[in-house]
Amino acid sequence: MLRRDINELLTQTGPGTPMGELFRQYWIPALLAEELPENDSPPVRVKLLSERMVAFRDSEGRYGLVDEFCAHRGASLWFGRNEGSGLRCPYHGWKYDVTGQCVEVPSEADNSSFCQNVQLTAYPLVKVGDLLWTYMGDAAEQPPLPEFEFVQVPPEQTYTSKRWQQSNWLQAFEGGIDSSHVTFLHSGGLKTDPLFKGAKGNEYNMKDTKPFFEVADSEGGLFVGARRNAEPGTYYWRITPWVMPAFTMVPPRGDHPVHGHFWVPIDDENCWTYSFDYHPVRALTDQERQAMVDGHGVHSRNIPGTYRPAANMDNDYLIDREAQKRGDTYSGVAGIAMQDASLQESMGPIVDRTKERLVPADSGIIKARQKLRKAAIALRDEGVRPPGVDPVHHRVRSAAVVLPQAESFLDSCRDAVTVTPGVAQSSV
Amino acid sequence: MSLSQSARAASAAESRFRITRPIAPARNARVIALDRAAEAVARRVAARSWAAARFYACGEAAEGRPPEALALFGLDGVPPVALREVLAGTDVVVVLAAGDAGSRQAAAIGAACGARAVTTAGVVLGDGFEADEAVAALRPYARVLLLSADEADVVELLTALRV
Ligand code: FES
Ligand SMILES: [Fe+2]
Repeated sequence: MLRRDINELLTQTGPGTPMGELFRQYWIPALLAEELPENDSPPVRVKLLSERMVAFRDSEGRYGLVDEFCAHRGASLWFGRNEGSGLRCPYHGWKYDVTGQCVEVPSEADNSSFCQNVQLTAYPLVKVGDLLWTYMGDAAEQPPLPEFEFVQVPPEQTYTSKRWQQSNWLQAFEGGIDSSHVTFLHSGGLKTDPLFKGAKGNEYNMKDTKPFFEVADSEGGLFVGARRNAEPGTYYWRITPWVMPAFTMVPPRGDHPVHGHFWVPIDDENCWTYSFDYHPVRALTDQERQAMVDGHGVHSRNIPGTYRPAANMDNDYLIDREAQKRGDTYSGVAGIAMQDASLQESMGPIVDRTKERLVPADSGIIKARQKLRKAAIALRDEGVRPPGVDPVHHRVRSAAVVLPQAESFLDSCRDAVTVTPGVAQSSV
Repeated sequence: MSLSQSARAASAAESRFRITRPIAPARNARVIALDRAAEAVARRVAARSWAAARFYACGEAAEGRPPEALALFGLDGVPPVALREVLAGTDVVVVLAAGDAGSRQAAAIGAACGARAVTTAGVVLGDGFEADEAVAALRPYARVLLLSADEADVVELLTALRV
């Protein structure tokens, strides 16, 4: 359980809140690059950390993320005309460039200097990998760009999708470091999902449903090791890295691509779940890419033209009680992503953590909350730069390994959990 | 369009109707410090208010005696008791280690808890290098090992477990 005030501290990310300021220390995903596919393509509404903005790509290919509302009388620039190196409000024709600078106020005299003093709040928007990233903090403190491996490998080796989740970011994120639910909730997927099935590790997963856990600090966050019995004298370890504030990876299975998530607050009751899959040393096959597009693995099948999952709370997640009875799925909801999301959304928009009954197996979550709180308070009170800002902290991987029982997973897996370009993931 | 059951149930408005009853402390926890440095931490943590948690330090692990006979000293001033008595009636033991001085005791506690199906959590204080033998002794039994922990983690863990 968590005290009410701490729950509020961790779940509120609007401007001026301690967690909101913490998130504003980092580059975070703002949208997928595919949402702004070409120069002068339609602008896109973006809400992040409780701020409403509009993203656009101008005639020169520059990306901008600016206040959604026109400085004149507050019309939404989503209706804007993206033309001639700027976004023009269709109401009275005021025009802005990607930095939010007003460049034209048609009602003023030609050569008037009025528009120079009109500036929309704007944040940098930069394409790294298949994502457009923004940094919403103090411009003077802007850190170097993200170096997570999934955005560093060549485009043919990586795929990212996103989905709207109707819950606070923290309960979504906590699922990403909660290794103990896999053997229950996702048991069906281990047998049938094209992006999961067939790995030797899955057998250990299914045979030993009571994993042991070890939680260790890393420079950027945590490593959570889950250990199950393997052959006599050995353990099967699944190692999940967390990089603060909201990047997690799932331990790999066989030679399947490696996957993970970035959990981004939209406002206090909604978040974006970015789900990625990449292979460190080879291109994704056509079948793998198709499976991802079709919503297998960690991805979701979305309503065409949107990032809302086709199975969602409005249709009871298309729950299939017969499939649940047969054991095809454990909860009756199809697909790993929606199995997680359905339960996390069922907790309510912001789960009341004063009512939890945690057990020692939840220690990863307990420790992660503690680290977030510490970092948010150290930033607020002493201006301390939090872990995970330095791109060196991004160069981590998940791993799945079999080790002799006496070995510590951390000592034995230093290399396995560190990104080495050109070297494959450690996986069973 | 009428809302689905799930959409209505997940709304903020419906969240207000969750039953609110005081939650009874779930566990009768025992916190055992393995060595002197861990004992100092345990003493400070013990001074806070807990529902039913009891705090102990370890005596010597005598060669050839059964693990259950290991003597523990209550940090609240109770006289030494045998591990077997400390474990009676508990369902979770949190072991604190800061170094290797208590690794024999760690093995004894782990084995005794394992035999009685008492869930065991190990908290390793400091960077862990000083406690690698203690960690190795706990590893087979501890459902969770919190490595590189500090005093605040101990408080946080016990609070989260509602002890
Ligand atoms: S068993 Fe974990 S939330 Fe119900
Ligand atoms: Fe999951």
